[in-house]
Amino acid sequence: MDLVLQLLFTGIGIGSVYALVALGFVLIFRATNVVNFAQGEFSMVAAFLMVVFSVKIGLPYWVAFIIALICMAGLGAVFNLAVYYPLRHRTYLPVIISTIGASIFIANTTLAIHGPEPEVLSGWFDTPGFMLGPVYFDNQYVLIIVVTALLVALQYWFFEHTLLGKKLQATSQDKEMAALLGIPVAVMIMITFVYSAVIGGIAGILVAPVLFVSIGMGATIALKAFAATIIGGFGEVTGAIIGGLALGVIETFGAAYISVPYKDGFAFLVLIAFLIFRPQGIFGERVAEKA
Amino acid sequence: MSLLELKSVVVRYGEVEAVDGISLVVEAGEVVTLLGSNGAGKSTTLRAISGLVKPASGDILFEGQSILGLRPEEIVRRGIAHVPEGRRVFPGLSVRENIMLGASNRSGLRKAQIRREADEMFDLFPDIRRFADALGWTLSGGQQQMVAVARGLMAKPRILLLDEPSLGLAPVIVQAVFAIIAEIRRRGTTVLLVEQNARMGLSVADRGYVLETGKLVLSGTPDQLWSNEEIRAAYLGGRTAAA
Ligand SMILES: Nc1ncnc2c1ncn2[C@@H]1O[C@H](COP(=O)(O)OP(=O)(O)O)[C@@H](O)[C@H]1O
Ligand SMILES: [Mg+2]
Repeated sequence: MDLVLQLLFTGIGIGSVYALVALGFVLIFRATNVVNFAQGEFSMVAAFLMVVFSVKIGLPYWVAFIIALICMAGLGAVFNLAVYYPLRHRTYLPVIISTIGASIFIANTTLAIHGPEPEVLSGWFDTPGFMLGPVYFDNQYVLIIVVTALLVALQYWFFEHTLLGKKLQATSQDKEMAALLGIPVAVMIMITFVYSAVIGGIAGILVAPVLFVSIGMGATIALKAFAATIIGGFGEVTGAIIGGLALGVIETFGAAYISVPYKDGFAFLVLIAFLIFRPQGIFGERVAEKA
Repeated sequence: MSLLELKSVVVRYGEVEAVDGISLVVEAGEVVTLLGSNGAGKSTTLRAISGLVKPASGDILFEGQSILGLRPEEIVRRGIAHVPEGRRVFPGLSVRENIMLGASNRSGLRKAQIRREADEMFDLFPDIRRFADALGWTLSGGQQQMVAVARGLMAKPRILLLDEPSLGLAPVIVQAVFAIIAEIRRRGTTVLLVEQNARMGLSVADRGYVLETGKLVLSGTPDQLWSNEEIRAAYLGGRTAAA
């Protein structure tokens, strides 16, 4: 039982990271009808920026964190203008190819600038963790869970209770109608990309102390988050969160009880099972089906 | 100076000339109906006015100024609200939220103010008041049409473009929708109403135009249009009225 609780905590911790990246997938998908295959690179770039600002330059952790996120907002804006905006009137295929190209470009640019060797980023706290009853709470995992919960709550409040949130939702549901009402659609999509880059960046910085900071981390995280999105259903923000947490828990338990080397395999086993038996995800695309 | 004037507007979709040199005027305070059967080019005309499609040639003047080439967001900010065919209610937003977003073209409004105006809208549309918090997709076609019109009115438009508000609705619901159009007219909002249902269109209009495969073939007052035997048989008789 103690082990179960311990695994649950770790699973939710890592699942929170998947959930954050999955949120980026879903928000961009809903705004543009396209999967952004460069979403994982946002996490990777942010982790490297954090290494540069915090480790190399030696800025205080939180200052480095804020500067890294400001850079991510800039990257999101440039990404929108360069990768999506010129193709916005085309079908989804050119846009998808464009995001795949951008993903390769960002990964290799980072490689060219930084080189292939992985980096280590320390966590936010100086102490590693604490015991509470039978469970060991790793500080970084606690931070990941708390920040994810706060972001999800903030985002919920924003979408449900602000006019801008409603305009973003309207844009994601029917761009032409949104434009007819005077909602600046291009601005709404810009906001979506900037926000997605920032939450992808937060996910990358939070998970970096748990993993190594490497060029490949973007692809790994993105694949997991993509699986989480499929599990949850692509239309729903709630689905991304549930899917991410579920995946984190499944792979943690799989690694503990079945096999450590096949840890990543469980994620894809679940993904394939969903694609075969429930391709619309747990929550389906309720709204999209009706519209 | 007319409120809205189209001068020899041509719109092409690839090779198809959907609108083939239309000229028409709408004066302030009028309700003008644009009639024609399916595929005549009615929706395309409205889409050209609201900036969703770009005319190949011709000009569109609003309050004497050309609005050609402006984006839809800018056109609605100038006071042209378009309630498109198929109602296009946001399925995942509530009725109240849908209506509130109709004010997106007016800047500097506080959310509380917009919400108050949206709630006042229910005085004109009492049938949808009890669905204020229901999501758009849960509504029937007639209810969605009312939401779409209410949302259009929230723009406080100088002119309201209505595209086939009767489409797919039961006769009794059509009556309710047209009662609202009559009320909008009484309140002094200018309306350009596109209809296949000529009987309903002419019942609320000051003037009408008849469109056939992209060209205007007739215009006049409802009485003049009704009294033209040939036209009545071709456009206003059983064929279109039944549609
Ligand atoms: N997006 C489009 N692409 C190609 N052809 C179109 C498009 N929309 C309309 N058309 C064609 O333009 C003509 C006019 O259509 P439309 O304006 O929708 O007519 P109406 O509203 O009077 O039924 C029709 O022949 C229609 O097939
Ligand atoms: Mg039409």
